[in-house]
Amino acid sequence: MRQAGAYSKLLCGGISRRTGPHSLPLARIKKIMKKSSEDVKMISGVAPIVFSKACELFIEELTRRSWNIAIDGKRRTLNKDDVASAVIATDLFDFLIDLVSNSHANLVAGECVASNTNVFDSIF
Amino acid sequence: MSEGPASPGGGSHESGEHSPRSNIREQDRYLPIANISRIMKKALPANGKIAKDAKETVQECVSEFISFITSEASDKCQREKRKTINGDDLLWAMATLGFEDYIDPLKIYLTRYREMEGDTKGSAKGGDTSAKKDVQQGSNPQLAHQGSFSQSVSYTNSQGQHMMVPMQGPE
Repeated sequence: MRQAGAYSKLLCGGISRRTGPHSLPLARIKKIMKKSSEDVKMISGVAPIVFSKACELFIEELTRRSWNIAIDGKRRTLNKDDVASAVIATDLFDFLIDLVSNSHANLVAGECVASNTNVFDSIF
Repeated sequence: MSEGPASPGGGSHESGEHSPRSNIREQDRYLPIANISRIMKKALPANGKIAKDAKETVQECVSEFISFITSEASDKCQREKRKTINGDDLLWAMATLGFEDYIDPLKIYLTRYREMEGDTKGSAKGGDTSAKKDVQQGSNPQLAHQGSFSQSVSYTNSQGQHMMVPMQGPE
C-alpha cells in the first residue's frame, strides 16, 4: 500500500494529523466550495477546516437516520434506498430531495440516465 | 447540482461522456469515498454493513451539503460586500439552514484546532476569532469524547450567541 510521503499533509503539519484519521481533504473541500457558485471568489483558510468537521457530522447524521430505516426493514446492510428514504423523511435534508429522487428515478429507469442528462443539459 | 446524476466514486469515468460541461473530473466534485465510508462506519453498529450504492449516494449528498451551505454563506458575503467567505459565515449559514446542532461541536473543533495552530503560528486570523471565544463550557456531551482539550473550554461561555452577530455590519 502506498505510504504517505514526507510532503503529504498526513505527515507534515496539515490539519489531518491533528484532527485524527477522520478528517476530509481540505483541498478537495475547497474545490467543491468554489464550484458551488460563481460568486465564491475567496475562501478563508479556516473555512475548509470548518467543513471537514461539518461534513463529518452531516455524514454521521445521514448514516444514522438511514440505518434506522434499514433496521425497520429488518436489514443490516445500508443501501441507497435507505439513504433516499432518510432524506425524504427528514426536513433538514430537504435540499437533497432532488438529488435522491433523481437517483431513485435512475434506479428505475436504468439506462435512461444518459438521455435524462441530456434533457437536463439542454434546459440549462 | 446540475452535473447530472452520474454515479460518483464508482471508479468509472463517466465525466466527459455526455456533455462537455461535465468534463469536471470526479475527484473535483466529490470527497474521496474511502473517507466517507470510514465516517459512515463509525456511525453504525459493528454488525452494520454498507452497500456501495449507499456510499455513493452519501458522497453525492456531502458535495450538495457543501454547496448548499457555501451558497448561503456566499450570499451573505455579497450582501455585506465582503469578498472572502470565513468560518463565521459558514457557521451562520448552517444555523440559518437548520443545522444549528452542528454549531457547538464545530466551535469546539475550531478551538482545539486553533490552540494547536496557535502554538506554532502565533495569533489567529482576524474575522474568525470570535468562534474561538464562546465555546460552551462543560455541558456539551461532545466534550466527553474529547478529553484532550479540556483546558480549551476555559473560555467564557457568557456569550453563546455572540458569533451569530455579523462580524461586519453592512456598509
